[in-house]
Amino acid sequence: MEILLQGMIIIFLVWIIACVVRLLIGPTVADRLVALNILSGLVLGLLVLLGAQKRSSLFLDVALVYDIFGFLGFIAISKILEKHLKSYTANEE
Amino acid sequence: MVNIIVAGILFVIATVFGTAGIVGLFIFPDAYTRLHAGSLASTTAVFTIFLACLFVVSDWHFLARIVVIMLFFVVSAPTGSHVVAQLLWCSGIIPWKQKRKESK
Repeated sequence: MEILLQGMIIIFLVWIIACVVRLLIGPTVADRLVALNILSGLVLGLLVLLGAQKRSSLFLDVALVYDIFGFLGFIAISKILEKHLKSYTANEE
Repeated sequence: MVNIIVAGILFVIATVFGTAGIVGLFIFPDAYTRLHAGSLASTTAVFTIFLACLFVVSDWHFLARIVVIMLFFVVSAPTGSHVVAQLLWCSGIIPWKQKRKESK
């Protein structure tokens, strides 16, 4: 069981690194936004896996608060970026 | 013993879905198609991981916390993807289309 959890944590780390690469090289603002959305979900899964591996409920409390604040913060970011994206696409055409 | 087998099967399913999503994030040409592939990784794979963690842990307070996280995640993750798609569509980004092949 321990080796299953350890392997799954390593797989999650690889996915998170791939997502960060997409976040850094994303050619447009939209790609970075998509990568940020996916990154938030993957980090949540990693926190729950760590809590199950270390048998510590502290990680699960952190995961719940991270989920709530990540969702609210993401909506705020997308609200701010709305104007920026509109001017960006208008300049492109 | 049974819960280890069930958790292993769920881990394998999560690995398949998540790897498909992350690969799609890199080979697809457009923000919309990348969102479609990435939602597979961020929703289906992570939710399957939560289901597997229900079989891994045995204490009641772990189970209760994971169930609460699952309930909130089911609401928040698809809503976040929808917000991104609506933002992209309303800001006028044109979806990618396959170029027509030359007529025969």
